[in-house]
Amino acid sequence: MQQFSVHRIGPEVKIAGVDISFTNASLFMLISASIICLFLFLGTKEKKMIPNKIQLIAELFYNFVAKMISDTAGSKAKPYFPFIFSLFMFVLFCNMVGMLPYSFTVTSHIIVTLILAIFIFIAVTIIGFIKHGFGYLKLFVPSGVPNLLLPLITIIEIISYLSRPVSLSVRLFANMMAGHTMLKVFGGFVISLGLLGGWLPLGFSVALTGLEILVAFLQAYVFAILTCIYLNDALNLHH
Amino acid sequence: MKRFFVIFLFTILSQSRLFAAEAGMPQLDPKYWASQAFWLVLIFAILYFAIANIFIPKIKNSLDDRNDKIKNDLDEAKNLQEISEEKLNEYNLTIEKAKKDVQKILFESKNKLKLDIQEKKDIFEKEIDKEVENTQKEINKLKQNSLNEIQNISKELASEIIIEISGDKLNESSIKAAIAETSKKELENYS
Repeated sequence: MQQFSVHRIGPEVKIAGVDISFTNASLFMLISASIICLFLFLGTKEKKMIPNKIQLIAELFYNFVAKMISDTAGSKAKPYFPFIFSLFMFVLFCNMVGMLPYSFTVTSHIIVTLILAIFIFIAVTIIGFIKHGFGYLKLFVPSGVPNLLLPLITIIEIISYLSRPVSLSVRLFANMMAGHTMLKVFGGFVISLGLLGGWLPLGFSVALTGLEILVAFLQAYVFAILTCIYLNDALNLHH
Repeated sequence: MKRFFVIFLFTILSQSRLFAAEAGMPQLDPKYWASQAFWLVLIFAILYFAIANIFIPKIKNSLDDRNDKIKNDLDEAKNLQEISEEKLNEYNLTIEKAKKDVQKILFESKNKLKLDIQEKKDIFEKEIDKEVENTQKEINKLKQNSLNEIQNISKELASEIIIEISGDKLNESSIKAAIAETSKKELENYS
């Protein structure tokens, strides 16, 4: 569990009694953001008609996110493309940077994912109310439900709506934490079983690393696509 | 009993404190939550503005340019194809027309040649006929002439022979009639 611990780097900074010191978590957020910026900078440095490799990858990411948004939320979601693109890139690169040994996984902290999720939740709710006024509340009252069941369904819908930030944040946080914990457990087995029996957990560890890289990508994708789906609910009220 | 309870409580508390210190989840320790939130918001905001204002327009620009180029090239190719198809049609039409012309010219010249040959043939035939007729006439004339001459000669001869024999001059016209009759009889064998 030591890999998840946050410690201060440099001096202690307090604003109005709140500790906002620069920590290793902040450092790895900064590293991830810097890698994204560097990658995108290199990807857009030369505007070529026939792209080079890094430009191709940058454009691939762009098209991937653009297609994801247009598939799930339609053309109305186009103004939110930069946000979802940043979100996807940030979560993906934080996950991927976390895969490096001795690094820190920013997204394995509930507070980080919760803040992202709550921001998305509040933003989506505000967008919904701006677009549809109080008609947005129709989201909780699905049509075609028998009158007897309607109060129950409405309550369930409200609960499910309110639990969105929790499920969104806990999904990412738990996936990242569980993966890293599992890697650590197998790493511990390698040490404790020694030279004779350590090879099997080592193999598992290698396989799990592959799986974790997949999970890192998948969770970033899931995070972004769920954001798109929530946005779709707010933009195109179908109920 | 009371003592036992106090010991039990103390053990649990110390255990849980130990647990929290050594194996607990640092994620649930709120000490650095504010710090993480602050840095997350700050860094993510900067990243968002960088991506939204610098990188996305660049990528979009590049992609749009490429799409435009592809579209333009395709349009141009389509246009060129249409033009080439038009030209091909034109070419085919020209060839067809030329073929028709050739056939027409061939047909006309054939007909003309035929007519020409016919005409020439007719003229030749007429000339030949005329020639034949002329020759025939000449032959007839010659025939007549020679007959007349023979008749004259035979008349003179006959009259001389008669004079020689009888010493008398016979009526010329009767001799003539007799010769004409004889010659006519003899000539029938030749003609």
